[in-house]
Amino acid sequence: MADAALPVESLAAELGAIVGARHVLTRPSTLLAYESDALPGYHKRPRLAVFPGSQDELVAVVRRLAKDGLPFVARGAGTGLSGGALADDAVLIGVQRLRRIIAIDAEARTATVEPGVVNATLTRAAAAFGLHYAPDPSSQAACTLGGNVAENAGGPHCLKYGVTLNHVLRAHVVLPDGELVTLDRGDQGGYDLLGAFVGSEGCFGIATELTLKLTPNPEAVLTMLADFTSVAAAAEATSRMIAAGIVPAALELMDQATIRAVEESIYAAGYPIDAAAVLLVEVDGPRAGLEADANAVSEICRAAGAREVKRASDAAAREKLWQGRKKAFGAMGRVAPHLVVQDAVVPRTQLAALLNDIASIGERHGVRVCNVFHAGDGNLHPNIPYDANDADESARVHAAMQQIMTRCIDAGGTITGEHGVGLDKLPYMERLFTADTLDAMCTLRETFDPARRANPGKVVPLHSCREWNGLPALRGGASS
Amino acid sequence: MNTEEMRSGLDACVHCGFCLPACPTYLALDDENDSPRGRLVLMRALLDGQVAPDDPDVAKHLDQCLGCRGCETACPSGVPYGRLLEGTRERQRAQAPLPFVARLVLAVFAREWLLRPALAVARIARGLGLARLATRVAPHALRMPAAMLATTARKAVAEYSPRGDGSRGRTALLTGCVMEGLLPALNRASERVLAENDFQIVEAKGQVCCGALHAHAGDTGTARDLARRNIAAFEASGAEFVAMNSAGCGAMCREYGQLLAQDPAWAARAAAFSAKVRDVSELLAVAGPKPTTPDATHPTLVAWDAPCHLQHAQRVVDPPLQLLRAIGDVRLVPLVDSAQCCGSAGIYGLVQPEVASRVLAPKLARIHESGARVVATANPGCLMQIGSGLLLEGSTVQARHPVELLDAAYARARQTD
Repeated sequence: MADAALPVESLAAELGAIVGARHVLTRPSTLLAYESDALPGYHKRPRLAVFPGSQDELVAVVRRLAKDGLPFVARGAGTGLSGGALADDAVLIGVQRLRRIIAIDAEARTATVEPGVVNATLTRAAAAFGLHYAPDPSSQAACTLGGNVAENAGGPHCLKYGVTLNHVLRAHVVLPDGELVTLDRGDQGGYDLLGAFVGSEGCFGIATELTLKLTPNPEAVLTMLADFTSVAAAAEATSRMIAAGIVPAALELMDQATIRAVEESIYAAGYPIDAAAVLLVEVDGPRAGLEADANAVSEICRAAGAREVKRASDAAAREKLWQGRKKAFGAMGRVAPHLVVQDAVVPRTQLAALLNDIASIGERHGVRVCNVFHAGDGNLHPNIPYDANDADESARVHAAMQQIMTRCIDAGGTITGEHGVGLDKLPYMERLFTADTLDAMCTLRETFDPARRANPGKVVPLHSCREWNGLPALRGGASS
Repeated sequence: MNTEEMRSGLDACVHCGFCLPACPTYLALDDENDSPRGRLVLMRALLDGQVAPDDPDVAKHLDQCLGCRGCETACPSGVPYGRLLEGTRERQRAQAPLPFVARLVLAVFAREWLLRPALAVARIARGLGLARLATRVAPHALRMPAAMLATTARKAVAEYSPRGDGSRGRTALLTGCVMEGLLPALNRASERVLAENDFQIVEAKGQVCCGALHAHAGDTGTARDLARRNIAAFEASGAEFVAMNSAGCGAMCREYGQLLAQDPAWAARAAAFSAKVRDVSELLAVAGPKPTTPDATHPTLVAWDAPCHLQHAQRVVDPPLQLLRAIGDVRLVPLVDSAQCCGSAGIYGLVQPEVASRVLAPKLARIHESGARVVATANPGCLMQIGSGLLLEGSTVQARHPVELLDAAYARARQTD
């Protein structure tokens, strides 16, 4: 292949001439930190890492790679949970230096940002105008907006406000061949190409600039913590709430294993550690009528069996309740060194039955499943902490997770709500989609990236692309 | 830290990345190798022999860590980052010694007979105005150290006799090395405000440098020697409380128990010593410092910069703010990223001057945005780092210890009595 002939050193020198030598890493010891994202357990060594400092530099880097047909992977803050930012011998392009907020238009309620801007930083900047950026993944303190767009990130408040897709208005994208295009929502006719790009997991190109929707801060917010003695009762309360026509701003469930990990951490939020599950419910909007919504939520929770429903007394108390939830995933490190995290979406009405089945699958395999998830969306996050150095435990964990995912798919669910397919969920794709559907996905990808160089080996299993298999150059499973 | 402890500390990291935005060097250098998560990967690689112990890049990124421990208060998983860093540095020192300038500084700080004359010379240079002059005419590399020295100059305050009744317990102040050498007025102010608030001040004779500089650099042996001498000195003083006005020393002294845990002769004494350690602001906050009359017509706008070793290492968050609020003519203004490191970090500024100034830049910008006339911080290193940055910019904003502000307010109140 063309790229094999090019020594890393000379490529690094050329890229260094674009971005500055300090921002190109080639030594194995300095690439170690870039071998994983936030899903520990997977390690892939990038060929080299390059960190452009401006949009122009980013475009120049992509064009240089295109010249030699080299594969590349974009990375933001490496907080992804599906292995999507892992670069297996590909060039890793880190966008963390592209963190300018170019403009906030308070009147139009939009922000124009570079892809490396951290999610929470945008909300902090918008606060001066009484606005915020609504999609709030739990990693929002660290994750980048470019990564959010690539993964179509969700978050607790997406139940009411919609996911990333609903908040992206325009993207300037450098396509893998180096062409710069502007994608918008097809408002003026034509296809919604922006819709195709959002959630493409870095396989369609790299956004150099994003225009995002900002949302006015609600006039009032009420946050409640309902405490249950069974997970089923908490799930039941969730279904009843939605059935009653209440749309909470957020509706989150945490089980006992999760509650305990959080309560041991510096983000201890005062969750009752003897509860089998808690629901964190937030309602927001105009002050008038909000009290009635909150009362309805309390009544539904109590009717479903809640021991207690507490309300956060002020903004500080609300923040504490939320910090506990948002840092729950990180707190799992207290239980064991490694973690498998899943992201299945299931019909909300089946939550109680599925959680019950997940618990029995865990018991059968002798693994500890911790549940912390967006109950209102039916977006489950079964997490299993384990020690990857224990081969037997690892095997049991992966077997259990496979059964859990199969169970979710069989219930009419899907394999990712917000984390993306990445590397981790590839094996489930063929279970979920027909060969024709996967082939259609390959065709769409080919439109953006005919040479399949952007984030190779992710999302759609290579062998399921029929036409690709027909190309002689690609027989043998090469990834570039 | 033994290998097992290191491994279990490293195992706590699940790679979530929540530490990245809390790390001043990641924000300044844009490389995950300069983030806590990245450095933990390097520490593990060193421990596992996956990289050579003398790998220059690994050493560079670990050396570039400020040790501010801002990541510890962001970490949901409780990774003991500061201890892992010191454990790693101790192992690294067995492979490669520190740079000459660092070894020289550490050697001087460990020896009173060298330290006292060195600081005396510094005071004379400062008194003659040489330090201030050097900030303008010296070669570029020396301007920052000169400014650090110049910024420790203090005008004499009107002394007053504290009126406290000594009922709140025998208290001895760790006078420290830099504090007593360059900022003795601050030590006297600390003793006065404690006495004014009913603490009985006793002297702990024979005390030495706390050893924090040595421990952070991986010279754990010297740190332990210094710790033993301090423990003995404070035991002899009969103090109930060991008062700290330096965040870095306070954090170190609270960790003597861990530092000497493996030493059977000293473990219990060290733990008992650590249990007595309090920041001056904590002692005052228990009952609330005696307030001073507000001077509503001339409020001073003060911003609080939380020193890393107070906020992240000792988790002392509210007491300094309570202290500042008790000062009648202080009006607190919020400082964005107050708890983010200023880049001081012990001898860091001497060995990593370029990174230190990159880290300082956003701190200075936030201070100016706050509109404060005084930035209060509670660590000599931070006072000098921020003070020198302001001085070199030609700013009239001053860096002061909260205790100095309280002491000055008490002195003023006494004059108008």
